[in-house]
Amino acid sequence: MKTVEEINQRIKDGDAVVVTAAEMTSLVKDNGLKETAKEVDVVTTGTFGAMCSSGAFLNFGHSDPPIKMSRTFINGVEAYSGLAAVDAYLGATQPNRNPDVGLEHGGAHVIEDLIRGEEVELYAEAYGTDCYPLTEIKTQISLESLNQAIMVNPRNCYQNYAAATNSTDETLYTYMGTLLPNNGNVSYSSAGELSPLLNDPYFQTIGTGTRIFLCGAQGYIMGEGTQFATDVERKNGVPVSTAGNLMLKGDMKEMDADFVRGATMPKYGPTLYVGAGIPIPVLNEEIAKRTAISDEEIECRIIDYGVTRRSKPTVRPANYHELKTGTIELDGVEVPTSPLSSHKKALEIALELKKWIDKGEFYLTSPVEKLPTEGLVVKPLEIQKPSILVKDLKGEALILARPNDQINEVAQKMVKNSINHLPVVDERNKLLGIVTSWDIANAVAHGKKNLTDVMTKKVIIAREEEPVDVIARRIDKNKISGLPVIDKDNRVKGMVTAEDISRLIGGD
Amino acid sequence: MKAWLTFSPSIVNRAIISDLVKNFEITFNILRADITPKGGKMLIEIGGKQRKQAIKFLEKEGIKLTPIKKVVKKDEEKCIDCGACISLCPVKAICPADDWTVDVDDQLCIGCGFCTFSCPTRAIKVTE
Ligand code: SF4
Ligand code: SF4
Repeated sequence: MKTVEEINQRIKDGDAVVVTAAEMTSLVKDNGLKETAKEVDVVTTGTFGAMCSSGAFLNFGHSDPPIKMSRTFINGVEAYSGLAAVDAYLGATQPNRNPDVGLEHGGAHVIEDLIRGEEVELYAEAYGTDCYPLTEIKTQISLESLNQAIMVNPRNCYQNYAAATNSTDETLYTYMGTLLPNNGNVSYSSAGELSPLLNDPYFQTIGTGTRIFLCGAQGYIMGEGTQFATDVERKNGVPVSTAGNLMLKGDMKEMDADFVRGATMPKYGPTLYVGAGIPIPVLNEEIAKRTAISDEEIECRIIDYGVTRRSKPTVRPANYHELKTGTIELDGVEVPTSPLSSHKKALEIALELKKWIDKGEFYLTSPVEKLPTEGLVVKPLEIQKPSILVKDLKGEALILARPNDQINEVAQKMVKNSINHLPVVDERNKLLGIVTSWDIANAVAHGKKNLTDVMTKKVIIAREEEPVDVIARRIDKNKISGLPVIDKDNRVKGMVTAEDISRLIGGD
Repeated sequence: MKAWLTFSPSIVNRAIISDLVKNFEITFNILRADITPKGGKMLIEIGGKQRKQAIKFLEKEGIKLTPIKKVVKKDEEKCIDCGACISLCPVKAICPADDWTVDVDDQLCIGCGFCTFSCPTRAIKVTE
């Protein structure tokens, strides 16, 4: 048994034994738990991942004449300024207001620009008051000119996170990166055995007030982050899915651009790569045992991101050792994996923190308050008006074509019913393809006779149980005007068109 | 494919290119040209069914042909070794080293550009 005070005394004397979480795993394996728990004083952890829930409070100082800013833009990125006169909160995922820049340079990039010491443009509008007469301002600012630039991240360092794959037949662009069709790849984001909260899964040492490494500066844990959950499934003591997370703060003026980066997940948006490292004092054998956890013992779930609902189906469980080998088996196929968070940087951070402690520049803290360990689940947001499902749409008479129908018959059918799409089905009404009036015109123009030669065989479909809003997005994304509705057995039930949907969505 | 054609001074006056286009079923595009009486260079893009025969013809006529390959380049300053690109590469040209430095092998790269679009820091580019 040791105390934090004793460990700090050893740090001061230059005697503390500090190892990274990865080194701890092998030490315990080689020398046993008892010996290692006695020997090691501090275990350092690290992670460098895309953490969307990040941002910064900025105080610009007062201009002359003064202004009470009500809308603020920094390098074209809006920061929320509904707080006092010259304060704003710049969120990492805010896109640029210039549509040509859009997602390419958002809040996260401006945060990086500031930390790099670059000058950025501040533009603010105001409604003008007796004490703050100015209504508009445009000037250049930099990290140095700001009174305060305090990074405050409401939800960082998730204890664990799902791995993602995509069972649909189109590429998806998500916050988990680009997901190739037909389960073509798997991405995962946790740092595994180096990840801070996986090394102290019951928050025995990490809590409110804990001093940490944040983007190259000494920062602090403000408390539990938003969406914090405790009551989750665990394996080997660690949650197998998202659970705990942290709200962090740090002074941007002391940060190092090597450990923070503005990035853009393609077609998703800006996000901030945050480097965080947390020291864990090895106070007893129990804590030592937790920090010795290996990638093999940490499990997560591979989730199908092809399902755009709140709860997505699990494809299979996987541990981080498997994921880090670079391939994983899904349904008998070897699928390549991508980490998304930088394991190299994570280790660099754990080593940097170790160096600080070794040099006596960083002292450990006891939490002023423990983080919750039970009773918290993440509540969903219920939409008051439940979402309308495809099967709720009022269907029209089902008009279908068969593969050996003549082109001219099909053309007549379409004209007679004034429709533009016709699903082609087999004798059991299973979908084979789709023809549009354009395909028919094309067939006539080229003298083609068979429907199977002109129909589109790769059909974008709607399932009966899908919400109409998901279909609206699909129609928009694929630039199509309608799609067949399919039941569980792939039988065609009807058609939904862009018109049906806009009538429904525009109608209230 | 794209290639540089190098003309020696002795052949700049002959109508090789027009013969080429007349006699072979090819698509042919001149992207850049810098030819003087002292010889010169021309950047072309050549495609079509008889492309291989056409190239043989050029070589027979004494023109040196240097194909240009698409190469993938990673900006080491910008790259954060996140590995998002690794699983997207169809030819496994992107692999992590033991310390998780993400390495790209431009010999294996086929220039498909999947990695380019998906890199969160826009660190990886395909150039010629
Ligand atoms: S996706 Fe970009 S930043 Fe990430 S490893 Fe590849 S090149 Fe580097
Ligand atoms: S361009 Fe294509 S082949 Fe080349 S490294 Fe990138 S993903 Fe691989």
